[in-house]
Amino acid sequence: MKPLIDLLALFIGVLLAFIIQNFLPPMADLHGAHVLLVPMVFCYAAMVLPFPAMLAAAFFTGFLSDLFYLHVVAGKVEIPVGYSIVFFVIFGCFANGFRPAMESRNSWPFILLSTLGTSLFLLVQFLLITFIRGGIIVAPAVGWRILAPGLIAGLIAPLFYWTVSHMDRLLPDGSRKLRSVNR
Amino acid sequence: MNRLNIALVVASLALAIYLSALSPSSMQSMQSGFMSMLSPFLKTGTAMQRNIGSVGERLKTLDELEVENVQLVAENRQLRASTRLLGELETENNKLRMALDYRERSSFKLLAARIISRDASTWWNTIRIDRGFEDGVEADQPVLTDLGLVGKTTTVSKNEAIVVLVSDETCRIAAKVEGTKEHGIVSGMRVQEDAVGGLLQMNFLSKNAPIQPGQEVFTAGVARGSFPPGILIGKVKEFIPRTLDGQAVIEPCVNLMTTEDVFVLVGKK
Repeated sequence: MKPLIDLLALFIGVLLAFIIQNFLPPMADLHGAHVLLVPMVFCYAAMVLPFPAMLAAAFFTGFLSDLFYLHVVAGKVEIPVGYSIVFFVIFGCFANGFRPAMESRNSWPFILLSTLGTSLFLLVQFLLITFIRGGIIVAPAVGWRILAPGLIAGLIAPLFYWTVSHMDRLLPDGSRKLRSVNR
Repeated sequence: MNRLNIALVVASLALAIYLSALSPSSMQSMQSGFMSMLSPFLKTGTAMQRNIGSVGERLKTLDELEVENVQLVAENRQLRASTRLLGELETENNKLRMALDYRERSSFKLLAARIISRDASTWWNTIRIDRGFEDGVEADQPVLTDLGLVGKTTTVSKNEAIVVLVSDETCRIAAKVEGTKEHGIVSGMRVQEDAVGGLLQMNFLSKNAPIQPGQEVFTAGVARGSFPPGILIGKVKEFIPRTLDGQAVIEPCVNLMTTEDVFVLVGKK
């Protein structure tokens, strides 16, 4: 029951993250860098869910990411559906290894992996675009647009962790209440 | 990792590869379904954003509103008169073209649309508008404002459409420079250092083209292209002669960051 509730919460969380990040404008001071919330939400799920549920979460998040960023011009798809699924499956397998740290309430791995995951997601996107369109572009704006969202995710992550851990106790699951009482 | 987990990972990756092999139209259909699902949330969010943003603007006195109303009524009358005159000129032009055995110039219908979100991704310059196939919008239709070209539609859902902006590198437009015989391809730049402005590049110009800053650039309107001829794209900011050809840097005529209302050219009247 517990993983199912967590998985459902993740599905809603990812959808909410898509909607919220859609309304956050790019930051002109940071060369047009965006705030990305989805990789951070997925990272949390990957670190608390059991492996099969994490894979379902990776598939869901990747599929929606691909649909959200699908860029079709003149009948040609730039990055096909499926690339984000591969990314989130690989990243999720790595993050899932840090489950024991989350169980012992250590939030540092989550913060670091959120930073890394967000920037890595953008880096892979940029490399794919570069490979497809040809011509390597090295500019400060590229660095900012890859690194700044990761750093912002790292700043938001503690707040997200605190909020979700408090909401977790409200869920209808006896084991959690018992766990928080024992602590 | 046990065998079951490895099998699940392999199955997920196989499914991802299968999805990546789907045709572009299937992917667009899936995206269209996803957009329809998110559409109510995006529209509500946009309305809330607008309401919050326009709190100061809404507090106008009755006198100010009256003055504005008078101005708008006058402008409306003037525009109606111009439209009627242009309609007559269009009919006359088509008659003369027919007399000369020229193909009749098709006229288009403008569909007003509002931008519901912009710049949702880091690497692509797109906006979403609140019109979809229910309103007659199709893929690859030009989107413009009274000032000039904005872009063209790509994925269209029931009540929403994605518009790729002229400032995107993948949006390529055949264009000509005012007062010259120079034709070239206008496209955006992959990464703009200044995210606010958004400059365009016009390639494949002659090396010694007589192009000066300030000259206007219009769509050329090639056969089977998305854009009809004569739509203003922007003004030349700089001309750079290169070894084999020339490149012009263009400043778009529409401020793509602040525009809120656009028109979709939805085909013949």
